[in-house]
Amino acid sequence: MMVTVKILENGTVSFEGVGQQLFELLHQIKGIVECGDPDVESRLYPDPSAKAEDEEMREDWKSLVQPELQSTFQSARDTVAADLRRATIHPDGSRSFGIPPKHIDQWLGALNQARLALCELHHFTEMEMSHKIEHPENDRDFILLQMNVYALIQEWLISLID
Amino acid sequence: MATIETPEIKTKGKSNLDSGWHVVVHNDPVNLMNYVTLIFQRVFGFNRSRAEKHMMEVHKKGRSIVWTGDREKAELYVQQLHSHLLLATLEKAPQP
Repeated sequence: MMVTVKILENGTVSFEGVGQQLFELLHQIKGIVECGDPDVESRLYPDPSAKAEDEEMREDWKSLVQPELQSTFQSARDTVAADLRRATIHPDGSRSFGIPPKHIDQWLGALNQARLALCELHHFTEMEMSHKIEHPENDRDFILLQMNVYALIQEWLISLID
Repeated sequence: MATIETPEIKTKGKSNLDSGWHVVVHNDPVNLMNYVTLIFQRVFGFNRSRAEKHMMEVHKKGRSIVWTGDREKAELYVQQLHSHLLLATLEKAPQP
């Protein structure tokens, strides 16, 4: 099944011919990030200081800045989930959906959250992430493929707004 | 009769107040290079060439000082970078 990406007159990025498997990968974005894993939380909310003695700054950051970041990240994930809920299912099983121009930033953010979360959850090294995926039937390779799919969509979206 | 001593007022030297804070961006293997460039352009208003220079510095050297100035603004920049999921920290700039 071939996915067609079109820019509509109103600026919406339209995805057509999205197979069930690809659609499911997109649908998983929210769940991947909201898994409650401590490594994922640490990556999404990093320390504002690399120095161990800056404990006060770290505490202030946690109470003042982190809630705002949580809200920003949640909003991005909710926007993506809502766009996917509006998808049309065609008789051949494929889906089509659109990303309105004002949602592009939220998609970029949610895709990024999911890629970072997958990296933390599966402890991928930089070398593993750069290797060619040869066995997608293997669980670890499939996760890398999933990260690459998200990255590809990010690349498309960046090219549109850049 | 009680006497009141004149309190000794200690002030911080000018250099302590003025040394400034660095906003440092650290490398991570997940963020895309063109995404990092885009975020630098958006957050700091860099032109593409300057944004790419900092992005390449992060990629090759592991970190880049992208801005230096007063603490309040530096914190705001770090917060903005975190909102785009870049690894950024505040660092006290060394005394001149």
